Amino acid sequence: MRPVTVLGVGMVPFAKYRDKTLAEIGWPAVKAAIEDAGVSKKDIEAAYCGSALGGMMSGQRVLKQLGITGLPITNVENACSSSSSAFRQAYISVSAGVYDIVLVLGVEKLTKFGGGTLPLEKEDFEVTHGLVMPALYGMRAKRYMHDYGLTREQLAGVAVKAHKHGAINEDAQYRNEVTLEEVMNAREIADPFTLLHCCPSGDGASAVVIASADKARQYTTKPVTVACSEVNSGKYMTGFRDMTTPEITVRGASKAYEEASMGPEDVDVAEVHDAFTIAELLYYEALGFCEKGDAAKLLEDGETSLGGRIPVNPSGGLLSKGHPIGATGTAQIVEVVRQLRGQCGNRQVEGAKVGLTHCTGGGISGFDHGACSIHMFSV
Amino acid sequence: MAHGAQDFHEQPLLAGDAVRRRSDGTVRLVGGECQACKEKTFPLVFVCPECMSEDIAGIELPDVGELYTWSVVHVAPKGWTVPYIAGYVDLRDSVRVFSHIVGAKPSELKMDMLVELTTAILGKDDNGPIESYAFTPVRR
Repeated sequence: MRPVTVLGVGMVPFAKYRDKTLAEIGWPAVKAAIEDAGVSKKDIEAAYCGSALGGMMSGQRVLKQLGITGLPITNVENACSSSSSAFRQAYISVSAGVYDIVLVLGVEKLTKFGGGTLPLEKEDFEVTHGLVMPALYGMRAKRYMHDYGLTREQLAGVAVKAHKHGAINEDAQYRNEVTLEEVMNAREIADPFTLLHCCPSGDGASAVVIASADKARQYTTKPVTVACSEVNSGKYMTGFRDMTTPEITVRGASKAYEEASMGPEDVDVAEVHDAFTIAELLYYEALGFCEKGDAAKLLEDGETSLGGRIPVNPSGGLLSKGHPIGATGTAQIVEVVRQLRGQCGNRQVEGAKVGLTHCTGGGISGFDHGACSIHMFSV
Repeated sequence: MAHGAQDFHEQPLLAGDAVRRRSDGTVRLVGGECQACKEKTFPLVFVCPECMSEDIAGIELPDVGELYTWSVVHVAPKGWTVPYIAGYVDLRDSVRVFSHIVGAKPSELKMDMLVELTTAILGKDDNGPIESYAFTPVRR
């Protein structure tokens, strides 16, 4: 296996693009990534596209707009981990020496569903009985509050922090700061969540060009190296399961840190899957940023805010930047790569050398989550 | 044993084969028990997720369990009567069941409290009322 480098990144601002097709949403992100990489479209040997609900041949539909056709295009679906799983496949193909330059994209158009909770698989037993994603995370939150004494105010603080970061990210869907009171008093969705505890529905696209480290030297003198690439599926359990410990993330983090020969103490900046406020707190602990039960303190101490010890979701995260689900994984990579290059302006994490992205996909019975991807990058 | 007789009507319960209605109108949940390794599942499956044996027996599951967690759901797909309480119930020595929690205000619920099986009308679709199994706090 050989080292792999990120050459270029691009995304379109997450927003509601009701009047655009999936292909129209997607191509500007791909073009931006290719231009950022400095490669010719003819240099791209293969493409992997992540989309959860984009429909058949999402990759081909986007890439034909730019005339990037005739190459192997593989479409990947892994719920919210779709494009991060696509990135993993691209990484394997380059690392194994099959290709030198590969494109990864993530694209989603959720506005076609008209709003409301994310449509889940109707064959799933719990879904047929009324399980919706806010309820699933809400149940995690309720148990965590009971077991660890987390308060509603502390939980709402996650949304306040997310919006503070998102407000200064021009790619974010919601660029407004919110107060604790606004979060607490917003419309109820699923106890203990109000609307502002939940990521918004929206559309978007993001793309990354990767290359073998050898090949990358032709294009850049400041490479961002892929330090590890992990994708796991959840463990199916029929009985008791501790919903305050996201087992798939704990397992994935352990493997990721081992592969990168690094630990949580090495991470300077992280983009984690804050689909709902509780998720970010659970992931502080699962990723080893703090001990079990200490997540609220880490947040309250400002350690995960810009300027803190380990800023989490400087982009605004899913809560503020938005969560067009298939586009999220590669968008997290876009943010971390820009952070490591020092391109993030007033939300820059000063001196960031190591970044982590974490993206889980869930919503099926018997799993903590169906899929989880963790990537680390370094300069 | 909770009674669901007042909700009884001809339409099948939403959970289908996962629920068995007894002649007295009460219901039991039906799960699977692998005859090779004794792994239990809910609902009934055709192959054991532990040992891949296809020798699965349908068994009646305990009708009392502990409420592991819950959430009051205000936004749900069309058909469900909102708000409703969604919860996970751990049946004794057995499986975890996703269920609506009925017959109690949210403020009356407590983590790990005992809940028992019942049935309830949970919504309405084009075919009429949606009735299924549910759990309700044990009151005795």
